[in-house]
Order: sequence, then C-alpha cells, then structure tokens
Amino acid sequence: MTFHSLRAGVAALAIMAGAALPAVAQDLTIGLRAGPDSIDPHWSTLGSQAEALRHIFDTLVGVDENLQLEPALATSWEPIGPTTWEFKIREGVKFHDGTELTAEDVKFSIERIPEVTGPMSMTIYTKSVESVEVIDDYTVHVHTIGTAPSLPNDFIRLFVVPASIGMDVGNEEFNAGSAAIGTGPYRFVSWQPQGDLVLERFDDYWGEQPHWERVVRREIPDDAARVAALRSGQVDLINYVPASDYLTMQNNPALDTFVADSVYILNVAPVVRDELPQKVRVNGQEIDENPLQDLRVRTALDLAIDRETLVRVVLEGLGTPATQLMPEGFFGYTDRMGAREYNLDEARRLLDEAGYGDGFEIDFTCTNNRVPGDSVVCEALAQMWSRLGLTVNAQALNGTVFFPAAAREEYSLAMSAWGTLTGEASYTYGSLLHTKDADLGLGAFNRTGYSNAEFDALFQQARENLDDDARRELYEEASYIVMQDRGLIPTVILQTVWASQAGTLTFTPRVDQETLAYKITPVND
Amino acid sequence: MIAFILQRLMQSVLVVFAMSVIVFVGVYAIGNPIDVLIDPGATQAIRDALIERYGLDQPLWQQYFTFVTNVAQGDLGRSMVYNVPVTTLIFSRLPATLELVLVAMAIATLLGVPLGIWAGYKPESFSAKAIMAFSILGFSVPTFWIGMLLIMGFAVNLGWLPSGGRGPVGEFLGVPTSLATAQGWSHVILPAVNLSLFKMGLMIRLTRAGMVEAMRADYVKFARAQGLSELEVVFGHVLRNISIPIVTVFGLELGSTLAFAVVTESVFNWPGVGKLIIDSILQLDRPVMVSYLVMVVILFVLINLIVDIVYARLDPRVRLKGEE
Repeated sequence: MTFHSLRAGVAALAIMAGAALPAVAQDLTIGLRAGPDSIDPHWSTLGSQAEALRHIFDTLVGVDENLQLEPALATSWEPIGPTTWEFKIREGVKFHDGTELTAEDVKFSIERIPEVTGPMSMTIYTKSVESVEVIDDYTVHVHTIGTAPSLPNDFIRLFVVPASIGMDVGNEEFNAGSAAIGTGPYRFVSWQPQGDLVLERFDDYWGEQPHWERVVRREIPDDAARVAALRSGQVDLINYVPASDYLTMQNNPALDTFVADSVYILNVAPVVRDELPQKVRVNGQEIDENPLQDLRVRTALDLAIDRETLVRVVLEGLGTPATQLMPEGFFGYTDRMGAREYNLDEARRLLDEAGYGDGFEIDFTCTNNRVPGDSVVCEALAQMWSRLGLTVNAQALNGTVFFPAAAREEYSLAMSAWGTLTGEASYTYGSLLHTKDADLGLGAFNRTGYSNAEFDALFQQARENLDDDARRELYEEASYIVMQDRGLIPTVILQTVWASQAGTLTFTPRVDQETLAYKITPVND
Repeated sequence: MIAFILQRLMQSVLVVFAMSVIVFVGVYAIGNPIDVLIDPGATQAIRDALIERYGLDQPLWQQYFTFVTNVAQGDLGRSMVYNVPVTTLIFSRLPATLELVLVAMAIATLLGVPLGIWAGYKPESFSAKAIMAFSILGFSVPTFWIGMLLIMGFAVNLGWLPSGGRGPVGEFLGVPTSLATAQGWSHVILPAVNLSLFKMGLMIRLTRAGMVEAMRADYVKFARAQGLSELEVVFGHVLRNISIPIVTVFGLELGSTLAFAVVTESVFNWPGVGKLIIDSILQLDRPVMVSYLVMVVILFVLINLIVDIVYARLDPRVRLKGEE
C-alpha cells in the first residue's frame, strides 16, 4: 500500500466514523453503566430497570429528585379508613396505543405483579395490599393488610400498564414491543439485553413535552469504555464517572461534570449475638465472649472513624460524612444526631473500660466494587481501628460471594452499602434493625442479631400511624435511639458523578442516581 | 472416518456431562442465587417463596435431575435474570462475537504467517528482528491496556474510528452481519486488531520456529539443487511441512477466542457472548452458565475435529483413528 492510498483509506474511515456521531440536536445518546433486565415493568426491582422503564411507563405516585412524593398518574391520595387508601386517577391520560387510562388499568397492574415478577421480586411493593376496588373510572380504593401508612411510598415503583394486554403476556412480548405500551413521555422502539434501548418521543404525553425526539440509552458497563465513548463524542452524557477520571475531567475544558449525593451509605454492621460466627482473638487465643455486644466497644469503633479523612483522602472528595442510615431530608431523618465525632482518646478510654485495653483481633468483611469506593473505605477503616490497638483483618469480596455468605450470617463485622430507595425510614430501619420477625415481615436483612425492645415498640407504633406528622416524629425518635445504640454504624454517603460534553446539557442530579432523558435539556434551550 | 467422528462425539457427551455437574456443584458451593439477586426491601416470606419457586430448596441431586430431564426434552431453561429462553439469549449475541473473532483470526493469520515466514527465512536481517520484537510485544502487553491505547489514539485523539459498540447490521448472502456495512467495518477494526495482536505474535513465532528448522532440512537442499525457485521451495515444500503446528494452534485459539473474548468485548463494549457469560457468573444465573459452557465444550470438540481432518489432508502420513 502506498502512502497516498493509505491516506485515502484513513480519510474514508474518518468520514464513516463521522457519520456515526450523533449530530442532530434532537437526538440524545446516553452511556450508562447498567440497563434494564427486561421491558416488562413488573419483572424486577433493579434500580437500572426502573430508571429505564420510567421513560415508557408512568408510576402511580411520582417522586422528585430528592425522593419526595409528588402526583403522577394519581393526582391525590388519602387514607379513608384504617385499612383503606383512596387514589384519584388523573383524567385524560393516553396510553401509547391511543386508549385512555382508567382505574381498571391501575387495578390490573397491581394484581399483575405477583403473577409475573421474577427473583428480584416486586411483591415488596404490593405486600401490604389485600385487594383493589374500582369505585369509578378515576377512583381506586386499595384495601391493605393492617394499617399501611407508607403505601404511597411503595407505589412510587408501581408502573401502570393497560389492562387490555391481558394476564398472559410476559417478558418476550414486552421485549419485542408488542406489549410495551405505557403512558410515559417516550414510546418503546427497540431493545436487546445489555444492548441499546431506543426510545421515541410520545406526542400525546400528559405531562411536559420532553425536548429530545429520539433517545438512545446505551449500556456500557466498563468504566474506561464509558469514559472513552464520551471523550470520543459517541455519547452525549455518561453516568457513574469513576473517581480517578473525575479528577482529570475537572481540568478538561471539553467536558462538564455533575456531582450529587446518592442514597447509598456504607454501613458497618457489628454482630451482637452471643456467639460470633468468626471468633475474636485476644493475644492469638480465640475467646468465647462477643466484645461487640458491649455498647462501649461499638461506640469506640464509631469514635475511631475519621469520616472527614475518608471523604477527602480515600474517596477523593466524592462523599459526605454520614450521621445516620438515610440522607438529610428523608422521612424519618433526625436532626438530633449532629455530626459524628472523631475522638481517638475517648475511644481508647471506652475500650479500656470495657476490658479490651490491649485490643483484640477481628475479621472485617466488605463488598468489593459493588458501589464506588467500598473496598478502599474497607481498608481505610481497618487502619483507623488499628490505631485503637485492634488487629483488623479486612477482606473485600465480590458481591457474588459476599451476599450469600452474609445471608447465612457468616460474618462477625461486615460493611456494605444500603440505599433508602423509597425515601422514608420504614424501608431501611424495618429491614435492617428491627428484630427479625417473619410474621410481621420485619428484620429480613437484620444480619447482626440486633434487637432493641424500645426501638421495636416505637417503630411498630409509627408503622400503624396514618398521621404523617406524628409518624415522622416517631420514626425520628426511633432512628435516634438505634443510632445512639450503634446497632449499625454509618460511615459515608457516596456521591455520584455524571459527565457531558461541555456546555451542551443541563439537568438536576437525583439522589436515586437515575438519569432521565426527559429531565435533561440542552443549554441553549 | 465415520467411526472416528462418532468416537469424538461420544467423548464430547461425557465432557458435557462432567462439566454440567461441576457448574452445578460450583454454584451450589458459592451460595443461593436468590441472595445475590433479591431486593433489600424483601421480607423473609418473599425470600422463602422465591427459593421454593426456583426449586432451590430441593437437594442438589434433585435440582440436577430436573435440569437433565428438561435438557433431554430440549429445554435448556430460562435465564433467571432476563426470563427469556437461554438459547434465545445466547444466539442473539453469538453473531457479534463470531464476526469479531473471524476478523481478528483473519488478521492474525494473514499477517502473522507471512511475517513469520520472512522472519524465519532471513533470521539475521534487521526486519526479521523487528518482527520478532513486535511479536513479543503482541503477547506480553495486556490486551485491555492496548485496547485503551487504541481507543485513546484512534477514537479520542484522532477521531477516525468509533470508540466502541457494534455498527449497523446489514445482510450478506442472507446472513445478518455488521460486516455488510461500511460503518460496521469502522466499528469492528479496532477491537479486531486488539484481539488479533496476541494471536499474531503466536503465529509469527510458531511459523518462524518451523521455518528456521525446516530450512536446514535435506529436502530443502535437494529442492534447491533441483533448481526450484526460492518461492517454490518456501511455499511449495516448507510451508506445507510446518503447517501442522500452525493449524493446531489456529484451532485452539479460534475456540478460546470465541468463548472468552471478554476483555476486548468489555473495553470496546462489543455486544458479544463474553460479557453475557461474565455477568451471568456474577449474578449466579445458573441456567445461562451451564448452557453456555455446554456450548463451549461442543464448540471445542467440533473445532478439534475439523483440525484433525485438516491434518490428514495436509500430511498423508496422518491416519485418523478408527479408520481401517
């Protein structure tokens, strides 16, 4: 090949590549770390599934960027009895096939979930529903099993599909598009598992018309590949920018970055049962008692965590010190906690008082790469605790290994991330810290054996209370008690980073980390 | 010949059987897939119901028996994550991997073998040494790193080629493939080059080693004495004699690349089967893991079978076992 023909070949390639770039201002291509598992909105509770399907389907109750409730397909809701909620359905909403939304569709959607949902079961959102009653075309009564004050919060993931599709359709029909009929701002064009989700604007949408005519949500799970796709102009926006790239991007005038707190908090879980699954060692000898049962030891562990350093050094600035299990402003967040103190002297004194002045050796297990920064925070915590005189064997494991072993309660001291996806306290505190009780459906993820009668009583009182203000106060009191008791020790709130081509897009980052095309607008608009 | 093929197929059935047992025991040892997949908000009752629904509460032998019974009826099962039949899932992504691997193997062979011949023919020349240095780079530098360099160079800085993904799919002789469109080629070039470098290094070294040895053999001297031109000597006699190891390695590499092109597929976001299998392992999606590995075993057996048949064509002294 001569030099000239080589050059001609390269030029031809350049032209072909140029044609592949998104050029039209009406198009938006987003590079995402994860996409949906199916187009059936009732298949899975996966976060990236809900995020993608929100474009096609609407939920009964909506949430704003801080996970606070707002009207969506239901315009209002109120309890009309101890076990009955009334939802008023929005009038004049059209499905993508032109039919109008009625109360029957809402009833059908609630009843469809237990029939079709998969291993990430959506029944967690309908578990308190006893039956659904259609009053008229635009009114639905939901009868609950017991009092269910958080039903509207459960329904923020209740996607509504038309009753006309029938009970028999499943993932295949949705993935092919024949059943993918929603009321959302975009209509379904095509999707492949782990591939592109292509969407087209729906002109009869009941809400505000989105700017983009055509949206491509491209799954690019590899961090480096996603960054490369943005830098080469193949995509307009990416989510989950890794911390290392965030630093370089800030110095790159061609790119804009957006940073926001997420709902994900890294929590340390000390097991307080009489016997530890991995025994603690003193001077190399395994001992039978469990030092973590002693509040003074748990408090010492807490006081020895330097959260400022975790954020500034370990997470490269992409975090916020956590005081409790939920971010500020969530339903049940207590203002009484204040910032968590870092005080090594006090921690040493408490440890000494508890009879462990010479320290002990303990295994500490964390997830690895489940959320950004989990393994580095894990190692940093081990070092911080070693300043107390403890020997901490930190181990960060892949989620595939960690979660089944955690479910078998094999770890004495563990750390993983938890996100309060419903925006209120009962979801988090009920699962993680209430005494394990299968009959009440509480404490399913309580792996530490923690049990506090005072907290349980307050929590159950709150759970039954339909008055929002009274309930909020009860939750605040309950979370204060359990946080003071160090049932779990929160460390840092993780932050998420998005990046786009400089000066092209604006959007408000959401705490649930969702990247929604219809909330994104061009800068010059 | 037919007896030989039958014998091979019997072997593969045994291997497939052993492999499915290993995967079952392996997944069972790691833990319950429900605990990886389940939503944190689920209650104990929901978890128990799910475990029962997927039959994960049954003893392992019983789960395995159910699986084998279904396979006997031609049903490999449905993915727990995607809830579509496993065969549909795998075959929707296989064409992408196939075209990437074929282009990569073509580059590796069509460049690697001639370069190796040259390096073995003139082992002392500067160009031969440059080729050998290149081949060392080819298989010692990690694939993902070269992939990133290619992307930074050709996609980000020069902007000539796309940084990843598969191009639009056209039709060629009735087969849907992105190789039928110009844009498809612009997408496949970088990942294919990336994938081919290791194999090219291997091909160069194998060919060179064979050449250096063969050029000293008596038949080369006789061929030259006979007055044959150098081209005839190299391509008519030497190449044929050294091609058996090349064909063997070609077959092995083709199989392993098809099955495990996952690094290149991730870096270039290529929608192939490699990414699918890694994700299914991370999510303990057992039906996908088992079916995919079964398919890989069959693939390897087939490729080796073809390689053996090619041997017999290349070297009349090789007789296939089972042939009387």
